[in-house]
Amino acid sequence: MHNVVTRSKDVTLLEILDRVLEKGVVISGDVVISVADVDLIYLGLKVLLSSVETMEKYRGAPITGPMQEPT
Amino acid sequence: MTENQLVYLYCITNEEPMLKNVEDLVEGLYFVHHKSLYAVVRNVGESEFGQEGLKRNMADLEWVKTNATLHERLIEQVMANADVIPFKFGTLFNTDDSLKAMLEEYGEEFKAILRKLENKEEWGIKIYCDTEKLKASTINDDPEILKIENQISSSPPGKAFFLEKKKAELLAQSTNARINESGQESFELLKELSFEARINKLLPREVTDRDDEMVLNSAFLVGKEEVGDFINMVDTLKMHHENKGFFIDCTGPWPPYNFCGLSNQKVQNA
Repeated sequence: MHNVVTRSKDVTLLEILDRVLEKGVVISGDVVISVADVDLIYLGLKVLLSSVETMEKYRGAPITGPMQEPT
Repeated sequence: MTENQLVYLYCITNEEPMLKNVEDLVEGLYFVHHKSLYAVVRNVGESEFGQEGLKRNMADLEWVKTNATLHERLIEQVMANADVIPFKFGTLFNTDDSLKAMLEEYGEEFKAILRKLENKEEWGIKIYCDTEKLKASTINDDPEILKIENQISSSPPGKAFFLEKKKAELLAQSTNARINESGQESFELLKELSFEARINKLLPREVTDRDDEMVLNSAFLVGKEEVGDFINMVDTLKMHHENKGFFIDCTGPWPPYNFCGLSNQKVQNA
């Protein structure tokens, strides 16, 4: 299936946060996350990402695979 | 005394979700059935997910990372067997009954959204640009700039100095124009193969932690039948643009986060 091949091997945390925190249906449930809380995350994200990246360097994990159809 | 529990809502489907697939991810998942809708939920402790707990935990990036990843993985697993409406991270209810009341209120809208999403997938396209590399390729094929370069080499130092300044200006303009053209062209071509398309805000380098600059952040709702064509178009765009300093990052299929907005916007501010 093309899906498996095309998707970046490690979808980054950023990709996930960019959707999970900002998109999706917004309903005011009984508890509310404030916008300030979300901003805090973006502020701190760089620190976290750098440490994740460092770990990946040590493991030698590739960032993304080439996009090719299987033969 | 046991801790008070809240109900964390991940997604809604219109067929009975196969939770066997997702039970490996986390304990305590179940679904709340109301009329023909199923809400995939989990009981969470109030100390962790209540107003105070959330405020504290949202500042703890490891906690956010774990829970945001869980949120995503869980919805992806449910999505493998059903169309889903993904909810935003941290949508919480006090009880199953208050969740049911919400399902009652928005049920018809959710059903309409699920009909719209049937047999479609969300794909994400982010385009990044290495401006220096693009400049280098622009210098070699912009006739205006080539002309000015010739003038510079045959001019005395004083005049050459001003021509250099003019060249830098032209180069910056031309590079910007190329970024806009490439981004717009890519977006339009992919949009033609999609049911809906969205342009989202660009994320700064401090957040992406990449050396190149994000120049397009977009999402597409693609019919499952058309995904092959969509991917082929992405490949074509990569071939045309990646040697000039662009990097096209294609991810998917995602839960349709970008395409399940409620028509009634007042709920967002309620």
